[in-house]
Amino acid sequence: MSARHERAVAFTLNGRRVGATVATHETILEVLQREFGLFGARESCGQGLCGCCTLLVNGTAVSGCLYFAAFADGAELTTVEGLAKNGELHPIQRAFVEKSGFQCGFCTPGFILMTKELLSRHPQPTEDEIRHYLSGNLCRCAAYPDIIAAVKRAAELMRA
Amino acid sequence: MKSFELVEPATIDEAVALLEPDDPGVRAIAGATALVPMMKARLFQPTRLVSLRRLDGALRGVHEHEGGLRLGALATLTELERSSRVRAVAPVMSRALRTLSNVRIRNVATLGGHLAHGDPHMDLPPVLMTLGARVRAVSRRGERWIDLNDLVLGYYQTTMAADELIAEVHVPAQPTGARTWYEKFTALSADDWPTVGVAVWYRTDAAGSDTTRPTVMTEARVAVSAATERPVRVPAAESALTGAAPDDATFRKAADAAADAVEPLADLRGSAAYKREMIRVHVRRALERAR
Ligand SMILES: Cc1cc2nc3c(=O)[nH]c(=O)nc-3n(C[C@H](O)[C@H](O)[C@H](O)COP(=O)(O)OP(=O)(O)OC[C@H]3O[C@@H](n4cnc5c(N)ncnc54)[C@H](O)[C@@H]3O)c2cc1C
Ligand code: FES
Ligand code: FES
Repeated sequence: MSARHERAVAFTLNGRRVGATVATHETILEVLQREFGLFGARESCGQGLCGCCTLLVNGTAVSGCLYFAAFADGAELTTVEGLAKNGELHPIQRAFVEKSGFQCGFCTPGFILMTKELLSRHPQPTEDEIRHYLSGNLCRCAAYPDIIAAVKRAAELMRA
Repeated sequence: MKSFELVEPATIDEAVALLEPDDPGVRAIAGATALVPMMKARLFQPTRLVSLRRLDGALRGVHEHEGGLRLGALATLTELERSSRVRAVAPVMSRALRTLSNVRIRNVATLGGHLAHGDPHMDLPPVLMTLGARVRAVSRRGERWIDLNDLVLGYYQTTMAADELIAEVHVPAQPTGARTWYEKFTALSADDWPTVGVAVWYRTDAAGSDTTRPTVMTEARVAVSAATERPVRVPAAESALTGAAPDDATFRKAADAAADAVEPLADLRGSAAYKREMIRVHVRRALERAR
């Protein structure tokens, strides 16, 4: 692989300045796993449909499976591993535990990060807004009613 | 996926200079949401991608322009969905965007990438066709305007040259009283790719104080997408509407005319015969909902 097919990238990952050398065709999902051992964003469909690979880029949710790592240069990235502070779960995480918003948990990091973007835009979301935001996240265990309850609870905890 | 040369020019001039008129392995890349799936499926293996993301503010933004809109090619679909300017001029666009794919895709997908991709299932082309929108394309040879009706030629084919970029999209000011609707029929979830997309637009003469004279449609536009090889305007349906009253009988006539005129393609979302019936139903519904 020639140098033109590689890129040195630097970004903020969960509050830490980091760097890596990536191939042009690598997705950020692959780089998070290979370079940083972060598996909270995980691949399922690989096509942008399911939301299991969700991460936040500058506060906006994206599908890591379709996002070139080279495009993350200079950005601020947040994965589910970056939410807890000093051993304390983030209020959204606490709400998901409290309301059992999952069964196997494979889809959960994606739902939690999607909820984070939702609540940053709509601190008091309506049911319709919740469904609108989460319609692109799939849960094979079909924990949907509990997930929606968890999002509502998260909104309460965040306001408290 | 295989690696490729990635270039990130800072100006439009540099970007168009890096595109190649005769090399299909060289392409622009914006949000990457359409290209990456094609690369994963090995339908496309680039030798060079020209990223537009570092362009110096050109091609960005949602601007008001002479009562209409100027939309930068790099505006994301989320930006358009949330824009109060878009909602004021073309609420039909804001509504269509809400069920176009999902929030994560809309957060990165760009208007330019959406239009240049040329997939006949895309939601915005039929809407923009009925709104009378045009695209400004730039290349080393200068710039030209392409009517949305002439942009998409067939599956993944557009009238854009390989070394042309979409710079912006103009949506003209809409006449007062113009009625619009986009009806997206999906076989699965509401935000799935459409099986049939129908955009309609019409305006009526102002009946004024003379209430004895019935209101008639003075101009009508109907576009059908997804079921067809490319998004198409349907002149047979449009002439069934023009000069007639916007009532149920007229709408049924136009829907029948559309079902007869359009050539649907069979795919995993349904047979050609099924889609023909769905076109009939959804042209009628779109017209009723526009009213
Ligand atoms: C899971 C999923 C579901 C989807 N569902 C829908 C749906 O329901 N309805 C719908 O309409 N769409 C849907 N889409 C498609 C989506 O709208 C497109 O992927 C997106 O709009 C493409 O924009 P982009 O910026 O990511 O393009 P890119 O992938 O960056 O580029 C796409 C094409 O456009 C070219 N290009 C990009 N910018 C320019 C420019 N400025 N000038 C010239 N050429 C350019 C590229 O060379 C490439 O050929 C879906 C996509 C995914 C992944
Ligand atoms: S793995 Fe990325 S959206 Fe499904
Ligand atoms: S909890 Fe199992 S996939 Fe959602």
